[in-house]
Amino acid sequence: MNALEMKNVTKRFPGFQLENMNLTLPSGCVMGLIGENGAGKSTNIRLILDMLHSDSGSITILGRDSRENPRLTKEEVGVVLDEIGLPECLNTRQVGKVMAGSFRHWNQEEYDRIIKRFQLPEDKAFKTFSRGMKMKLGIAVAMSHGAKLLLLDEPTGGLDPVVRDEVVEMFSDFTRQEDHSILISSHIVSDLEKLCDYIAFLHKGKLLLCEEKDQLLAEYGMLHCPAEALEELDPGAVLCRKTTPYGAQAIVRRESAPPGLKLSPLSIEELFVFMVKEER
Amino acid sequence: MKGLLLKDFYMTVKYCRTYLLIGIVFIAVSFAGADSQNMFFVFYPCLLCGMIPVNLLAYDERSRWLEYSGTLPYTKAQLVSAKYLVGVIVQGVMLLAVGIAQAVRMNLAGSFRLGEYGMMMALIFAMATITSSISLPFMFRWGVEKGRIAYYCMIGFVCAAGYLGSVFFTESRKVTAAGSLVPWAMILLGTAIYAASWLVSIALYQKREVA
Repeated sequence: MNALEMKNVTKRFPGFQLENMNLTLPSGCVMGLIGENGAGKSTNIRLILDMLHSDSGSITILGRDSRENPRLTKEEVGVVLDEIGLPECLNTRQVGKVMAGSFRHWNQEEYDRIIKRFQLPEDKAFKTFSRGMKMKLGIAVAMSHGAKLLLLDEPTGGLDPVVRDEVVEMFSDFTRQEDHSILISSHIVSDLEKLCDYIAFLHKGKLLLCEEKDQLLAEYGMLHCPAEALEELDPGAVLCRKTTPYGAQAIVRRESAPPGLKLSPLSIEELFVFMVKEER
Repeated sequence: MKGLLLKDFYMTVKYCRTYLLIGIVFIAVSFAGADSQNMFFVFYPCLLCGMIPVNLLAYDERSRWLEYSGTLPYTKAQLVSAKYLVGVIVQGVMLLAVGIAQAVRMNLAGSFRLGEYGMMMALIFAMATITSSISLPFMFRWGVEKGRIAYYCMIGFVCAAGYLGSVFFTESRKVTAAGSLVPWAMILLGTAIYAASWLVSIALYQKREVA
């Protein structure tokens, strides 16, 4: 079963539109949604949660249509939005009680364990928290009600590198259970590179690519060569290019490249930056 | 739903305790002025309580709870209903407190007449329910910022109703006999307006995209 399927989902706003989104996240996998600010990552997550109503297309979450039984679906989906909108006067203990009254399978022990692990104060009001602390509390809530799918919108934003690493590790632990899946959006590509099985690039509301990460890295390589040498290559082999007075760089499909051509390994960040610049 | 009500309870205690305090002071003042014809102090606490759900909604919007609640296992109808239920609870408690205080006051003064008492309570009930019924649908549909016009109208209504209620009551007590249908009509009107506002808010909030 797929944890998440989006088929031809379109949403139009004045001045922006998310066009024909097609995403499939197999159960047990982690998909990273990479995009610039304003690319449509948050819109995408809000469409999945039916917080925004799509103009066309269909969304299936854990085998159910997203609009079929939203309450049941949200019991099984843990969400961290880019802004954690908890009431400012509540402390972590009160948040726990509110959530215990909201989720059928609320796990207070798990919540307390995460709160302790993140060293969050129990009796301080949410409004006194730093952005990082707020994010940690949001993560604690999302991971304490037996969710099978996590939808994470910039969950590592505002966290220092040590905590970010810890959080990524927690997400990684979450997917040890084979029916647990994650869709995570971020522009901190290094976090996604550590965590994800699948990578999707979004740019100006369009899905540029969606592929398995390892396959993507194996499929493409970085070529550094003089500009003239690049012109001699089969255009079909070149995914995108950058030419400067000092030479050229290109992302080249390995199987279409001439034998003997030396390609260096590629990072997801390089691939993303190249593709976005090419689109511009 | 339990979680939503608990959250609103915490917020009411934190943000709206002044309202409750003012209510208690006003009840005490109305109690002390035993034979006073000015009923403003009797009407005002309940009208003030009618503003609590509206204020809670404003705080929710400021903290971005409206968006966050979209990630929780609640329907939009439940999110709306929580605010109306809070309104029923706080206004019910205040109405009860005012009712007891006035019954005691009238008895002590030897002026307790059931018809007059019933008329007063029905009038308070009707006005208190109308307070939040006016502004909540606007705020659920267009948000607090755009719904502020309705909010200002409501504040004007609260002040005017407090005064007019006291005048109307003073006049009507002269003609109202025990067993009159007027108090029942007022209770029915207040309930109908509150129920209609509740349903309209649910319908409007269903259409709103909170993100």
